[in-house]
Amino acid sequence: MKLLIVDDSVIIQSRIARILDSPRLNFIQIAGTAQNGLEALGVFRQCMPELVTMDITMPKMDGVDCTEKMININPDCNILVVSALSDKATALKTLKKGARGFLYKPFSEKELIDAFLELTS
Amino acid sequence: MSAINEADIHSFVDAISIYFQQITREKAEIRAAYLVEGDILPTTFELTGYITVTGSFSGKVYFSASRGMVSHLLLMMHDTDHSEPRLLDAVGEIANTISGNARKHFGESMEISVPTTQTTGHGWLDKVVSPHSYVVLIKWKQYRASVVVDIQSNI
Repeated sequence: MKLLIVDDSVIIQSRIARILDSPRLNFIQIAGTAQNGLEALGVFRQCMPELVTMDITMPKMDGVDCTEKMININPDCNILVVSALSDKATALKTLKKGARGFLYKPFSEKELIDAFLELTS
Repeated sequence: MSAINEADIHSFVDAISIYFQQITREKAEIRAAYLVEGDILPTTFELTGYITVTGSFSGKVYFSASRGMVSHLLLMMHDTDHSEPRLLDAVGEIANTISGNARKHFGESMEISVPTTQTTGHGWLDKVVSPHSYVVLIKWKQYRASVVVDIQSNI
């Protein structure tokens, strides 16, 4: 299963990549990374991932708009929003745009693994 | 414009506690929380990340820490790249995470920008923060850091 990691922080991108080394997630391969919504759309069209982790607060295009546009391209894509914005309204907004899950930062390794497994089960 | 209250500051203190607990599995000690006033100034460390708040609130939230603390936090995340851009990325992400978590208390009408980061010399925060900003001093292991909440309500 191909994964696109979208986050303006390289530290978060690396953290997600390291957690993906878990044997429980060996069915997921990183197909690309992007640091803003606009760049993410370009990578998305190129690699057509089945799975995306999506930050919300990013330059150029935020994660809410990017989620909507990705779902328009591929409605079957599983988008997991990974954001520090921990108010319910933001989570609901992204779910309405087509995201399938929401994980709050800061997240633990277990929380991210569980979120991936739940999303792909 | 009106000043933020004690409950507002608590939301940031809670967010700081959650951040350190989640990333390091250890509690950060909140050493002090005080108002910038006269000679009582915030403490600036070597690296500072901040976000700008707009909407129903306006101002900035700063996270300032030493290179030592940020390197150690990266190690806790099993990150071995401790280059300057990486350390700055980390302070920006921490400022963003603490502010984003605090938004649970303020609501979605408080909008948060992407973080800005820079290396900061002694006294940098003294020059940029408004009088009556709140300072939260943190101690984790042997390191110290500060969070400065310089926001006001527009309602």
